[in-house]
Amino acid sequence: MRKLLLLLVVGVFILILASVLFSRPSSEDTPDAGSADADADLGERRGALVDEVVFTQESDAGKVAGLIEAGSHHVFAQGVTNTTAYHRLRDSQQATYEEAYGTSSELTLNPAGPELANGELNPFAVKAIREAMNWLVNRRHIAEELYGGLAVPRALPVNTAFPDYARLADTARALELEYGHNPDRARRVIREEMEALGGTLENGRWIYNDRPVRLIALIRSEDARKRVGDYVANLLEDEGFRVERQYRTAEEASRIWIGSDPAGGRWHVYTGSWISTVINRDVSDNFSFYYTPRGRPDPLWQAYDPDPELDEIADRLQRRDYATSEERQEMMARGMELAMKDSARIWLVDQTNILPHAANVELAADLAGGVAGSRLWPYTLRFRDRVGGRIVFAAPSLLTEPWNPVAGSNWLFDTMITRALSDDAVLPDPFTGLYWPQRIQEAEVTVQAGVPVEQTHDWLSVVRSESIQVPEDAWIDWDGEAGRFITVGEKHEDGVTARTRTRVRYEDGYLERRWHDGSTMSVADVVLPWILTFARADEESSLFDPSHVPLLEVFQRHFRGWRITSTDPLTIEIYSDQIYPDAETIVAQRVPSAQPWHTLALGILAERGGELAFSSDKADRLEVDWMSLVAGPSLNVLKRALELGRENDFVPYADVLGEYLGEDEARERYTALADWYAQRNHFWVGDGPFYLHAVYPVERTVVLRRYEDFPDPADKWLRFTRPRIPEVNLDGPMMVHMGDEASFRLDITFEGEPYPEDAIDEVQYLLFDGDGQLHRKGKAALAANGQWRIDLDSDELAALGTGANSLEVAVTSRDVALPAFVSHAFGTVPAGTATLEQEL
Amino acid sequence: MSVVPGAGPARRGWLTDLRRIMVFTGKRLIALVLTVLVGVYLTILIANMGGQVDDLRLIQIRSNVSEQVRADPTFFDLPSEERQDIIERRVQMEVERRSLDQPFFVRSIDYLQGAMLLDLGRAEEMHSDRGARDVYWIIVERLPATLLLFGTANLLVFFVSVWAALWLSRRYGSGTDRAVIALAPSSAAPGWFYGIFLILFFAFVIPVLPAGGMVDIPPPESSWEYGLSVMRHMILPVVAMFLSSIFISIYSWRTFFLIHSSEDYVEMARAKGLPSALIERRYILRPTLSPIITSFALMLIGLWSGAIILEQVFNWPGLGTLLFQAIGHRDTPVIIGSVVIFAYLLALTVFLLDILYAILDPRVRVGIEGDNR
Repeated sequence: MRKLLLLLVVGVFILILASVLFSRPSSEDTPDAGSADADADLGERRGALVDEVVFTQESDAGKVAGLIEAGSHHVFAQGVTNTTAYHRLRDSQQATYEEAYGTSSELTLNPAGPELANGELNPFAVKAIREAMNWLVNRRHIAEELYGGLAVPRALPVNTAFPDYARLADTARALELEYGHNPDRARRVIREEMEALGGTLENGRWIYNDRPVRLIALIRSEDARKRVGDYVANLLEDEGFRVERQYRTAEEASRIWIGSDPAGGRWHVYTGSWISTVINRDVSDNFSFYYTPRGRPDPLWQAYDPDPELDEIADRLQRRDYATSEERQEMMARGMELAMKDSARIWLVDQTNILPHAANVELAADLAGGVAGSRLWPYTLRFRDRVGGRIVFAAPSLLTEPWNPVAGSNWLFDTMITRALSDDAVLPDPFTGLYWPQRIQEAEVTVQAGVPVEQTHDWLSVVRSESIQVPEDAWIDWDGEAGRFITVGEKHEDGVTARTRTRVRYEDGYLERRWHDGSTMSVADVVLPWILTFARADEESSLFDPSHVPLLEVFQRHFRGWRITSTDPLTIEIYSDQIYPDAETIVAQRVPSAQPWHTLALGILAERGGELAFSSDKADRLEVDWMSLVAGPSLNVLKRALELGRENDFVPYADVLGEYLGEDEARERYTALADWYAQRNHFWVGDGPFYLHAVYPVERTVVLRRYEDFPDPADKWLRFTRPRIPEVNLDGPMMVHMGDEASFRLDITFEGEPYPEDAIDEVQYLLFDGDGQLHRKGKAALAANGQWRIDLDSDELAALGTGANSLEVAVTSRDVALPAFVSHAFGTVPAGTATLEQEL
Repeated sequence: MSVVPGAGPARRGWLTDLRRIMVFTGKRLIALVLTVLVGVYLTILIANMGGQVDDLRLIQIRSNVSEQVRADPTFFDLPSEERQDIIERRVQMEVERRSLDQPFFVRSIDYLQGAMLLDLGRAEEMHSDRGARDVYWIIVERLPATLLLFGTANLLVFFVSVWAALWLSRRYGSGTDRAVIALAPSSAAPGWFYGIFLILFFAFVIPVLPAGGMVDIPPPESSWEYGLSVMRHMILPVVAMFLSSIFISIYSWRTFFLIHSSEDYVEMARAKGLPSALIERRYILRPTLSPIITSFALMLIGLWSGAIILEQVFNWPGLGTLLFQAIGHRDTPVIIGSVVIFAYLLALTVFLLDILYAILDPRVRVGIEGDNR
């Protein structure tokens, strides 16, 4: 027995040793280390800054720091909200993190009543009591204690990291002070309103119809909201309510707060949360969504009864019914005031998602969407100390649904990968949400006079026009039977106008680039996706997909035509009635990007043959597989389609596409694709800075490698790796004599360097007296590089009266959506009083 | 089920035996099929909470569609009424796709019929790792990983424990015996519990083994390297399972063998001076073969279910994780698919064991009236 046990132990040891020794990467082409000569390589290098990116599945946040320290993983795509994991990361020498602010927490209040179907009283039916909840909760306590510092207080229906918050910084600050923690005021209002409702306070307990007033707190149990729910329940109990705490998971809770009629009284307060994966530059529809029945068709929303003024403002903002941006700002500001009066929701905090990565790794993370929501990560990912090498990403899920470019997986972590495989015409700034050109030389947006559209960057121009006539030769629809586009002249004999025209000129050589499989691009790559947009909603087409019909219907509501005005350089005009406040966003929404027509052709053949379907919905209807270009049974079907296509030089919609194809292009494309498939065993071909090297579905691993023929220099987007959030310091007198003037100095820096003047959007100040009343707002003056000054004259100070005052400053930057705030408290005292400065 | 000596001619006796065997087999099969039927239908009811899950799924569909429409810039400036209309149409499509517009009872019968005919159908939410929607592929793709890991661990535990127990049964009261008894309570902790400590020690403190996964990242392209990598990734989970089961398993088999070692015929064999190896093989193992085989067979089909938490801890892409995901998605066809295969495997095993008992143990017979006694 002992001998055998000994043998067993020795055997296991040898096995471990052998597997450890033999598992070292041996393949010569696996780029593990990279070149340490970073500066020399960077100047010459094209495309990505690393040679290989490996994605793998890992959902355990507890392992994050350990895996980074062990060197096996470098970036975690999932945000960490666990405070223990955060502290472990913070203390680690090898790990660091980015921050994202796209998740918000709030209290959803039941507005039904005041008397519910079960005869019980619902105090939250009264707006004043809902409003008082703002004073009852201490948001700073929630952010710092309950979220362990992984949150920032939020009081308003606008995310604190989004541009609208910065635009409205003065109003926002004033409202935040107005609705700051004030439990005495909350208690006073609650008591007045409860008594008005017929409640009586007996022995510290509210009684209604001889029964204690019971509130049901529906508390989410999976995250920090459990602590928030308990905290709020405690506060309400202190106010004299009997609180029944129901701890529920997302699914269990949704049946109650979304699924049930609020008048049924199954809940009174719910710990809600909302997520945004991108920086939303226009949150003006928040009022409609969060405070009016237009938000959603569910019973809770239908119970909302907003003030008519709020309802009108919300509706107009949602419809973009304003003439100028100033008018919009005024409506937004008024909307925020009214929303706080309504308080159907009590906003609590914007959570800080921690996005861990190795200390020697750098990448651009989106301020709202983090790494997974960032469009620039493939262009900026690198080791700080070297060029090249392999970086390992971990994500909680991968390959969640089949990948195809028409209607494939749109899961966050799947799209995070596929974004690296294509090269969009424009890319969003991860810190402001504004788009920058990537493959276009210039753009011109013509808007109808009176349509409020703003331009920020100078890579595009905005032109106003009284009327925009759509040319007769522009394409506006698709004739499936004839297999050709329908022109505006054919469809609208009297002509048609549009609210916007977007003219996009792509960069020189745009169509001379090569797809990852080596084939050369052509105009057909731009045209075929347009055809599919129409053909998939055509009932006569073999590609008809019922789930696509509503999308096309909405698209056609505002689409007014498009045409190719030049193929060298490629120039396209798109006509539409849809408006976005930023001209950059209009270009981004209109500009078409190319997709390789030959891979789409395989999908078309497979769907026409009834073997696969682009969309999940159609796949289920036909009981066939949802098309995947990268794995599974789809590959065999697509392989057969490739053989068929090669044999016949198949070109889909040849009457249209044939015009744009070069000689022998079909044959060359299919040959290139066949070689590609033979090497990679998948059909995903793109033009991004990385190509898809290998997919291991069961192992949940995806390998991308650097595309060496990528046209751009490797450092093109490196300026976006750090959000330049202003660091602000405000200094000034602690006491000011009445009748004197006062000057305050403001230092605005970033990483110790003065913040450039041209990057500063605005430096606004707000002057509050001791009662929190706003007395003045104005703008700081530039004094020197990085130094600003606020001068208050004697009249302004005299208006404050004697007492403690507060000077609040909001700094907004053009480089980052997140504004910076700083405040300075000072006293105004009668003339002759000895001040602290004098005593010192 | 072997021949019962009778008074009639040999041929008639053979036919009688065949008839008894057929009757016995038929009754057992019917009983087993009925058991599977009831088990599967109960699973359908439980997985759908008697149809209540429909409400939950409707709410989820509506929420998901609402949020998708809200996040899609295509619908940016659509009037609320039209937006609601779009939401309703998309919700309706999803409802139809999942057949939620049919009464639950009708769907439950469809599920049952498909399950009993081993037509596992299509998943409602999930896909196989390679992207297929068929429940068959969803399960089959995960099967090798589960069989490899749990098969290795369980076979190791089984054979080591039977062998060690037999050895210990001859050394009752020895130091090793007492040590095994003392260590038996260590099996109260599940494999994943040991797994966490093993990961901490061997992946982070002394980083010689991977913290999880089935293969290196990225997977080696050579088959040999791939195989070695899988072996390396198996070490910690196998050791975790081994540690959590081995002592209690040795202890229980040792007690079992001890009881059989004190039978009169074993004592007689010892008294006759037969070699201990012969005694073990012929006098202890042979009569106890039926329970050993039963245990072995049940262990084998137990592999089917995998182990949810252990697979999660080691990030192992097995059936346990799959079932966990299916429950999370409330994907009834996948849940039913997993259960129905297990139920059929169990029924088949029980049926085969009935036959094996008769082959292994001459005392087991089909009774004169066809009863199993």
